[in-house]
Amino acid sequence: MMREQIITRDMVADPKSAYGNKKASTRHFITQRLTGAINIVFIGFLAYIVLRLAGQDRPDMVATLGNGWLGLPLAALVAVAAVHMRNGMRDVLEDYFAGSLYRLLMLLNTLFCILVAVAGVAALLKLVFWG
Amino acid sequence: MTVRSRPLSPHLQIYRWTITMAMSIVHRATGIANYAGMALLVLWLAAAAWGQEPLNLVNDIYGSWFGQLVLFGFTWSLIHHMLGGIRHFIWDFIIGMEPGQREMLAWANLVLSIVLTLLVWTIFVWMA
Repeated sequence: MMREQIITRDMVADPKSAYGNKKASTRHFITQRLTGAINIVFIGFLAYIVLRLAGQDRPDMVATLGNGWLGLPLAALVAVAAVHMRNGMRDVLEDYFAGSLYRLLMLLNTLFCILVAVAGVAALLKLVFWG
Repeated sequence: MTVRSRPLSPHLQIYRWTITMAMSIVHRATGIANYAGMALLVLWLAAAAWGQEPLNLVNDIYGSWFGQLVLFGFTWSLIHHMLGGIRHFIWDFIIGMEPGQREMLAWANLVLSIVLTLLVWTIFVWMA
């Protein structure tokens, strides 16, 4: 709705013109900083897990990731990373698309991030609780 | 009579390249790469949860020369994006914004990302 609005010369000239959704944009900013900071921990986990498990067989994967102290925080971190992914891709989409095309791409973005989060969390829960 | 070509619309190419501009673009590019790369991580975890056969398939693909090349790039992309994020945290405290400082931070971002990636792969892959 707002994105389809044509920005006129008068609007640009008016110092009181406001662009975009202030509340949502502030929320996106805070969310991106918060999830980004948490992602630093994620990188640490990832380095440890890949070091231990790259190319290993299933019993080794189950032994390491099946440990709830490792598997469960990792599942939470994958979900947080998915939020960061969606928010970051929103930034890109906002810059290059508008209107209904923006909304369609944003929907695909949301679906992909949900898919990543659900698949990652489900795989880790399976490894932790059912081996 | 010489015919002049039509003037082109000015875009990114009219600007002189600066390291801050380059690292800003790379931050966005690595973000998009990490977005796609997360699918590789989830695929690996899902294969491990699924069974030994899917895991063998994933391990074979990821262990091939092309797979290793992609994973090396993914490692660099993650580290570069993380350092770029830390750079933004520094800027959030209004530190490092002066001329010279911001260029130094941008160069540090690039150099550290390469050093850390090589370090991670040396310790975790080539020496392991």
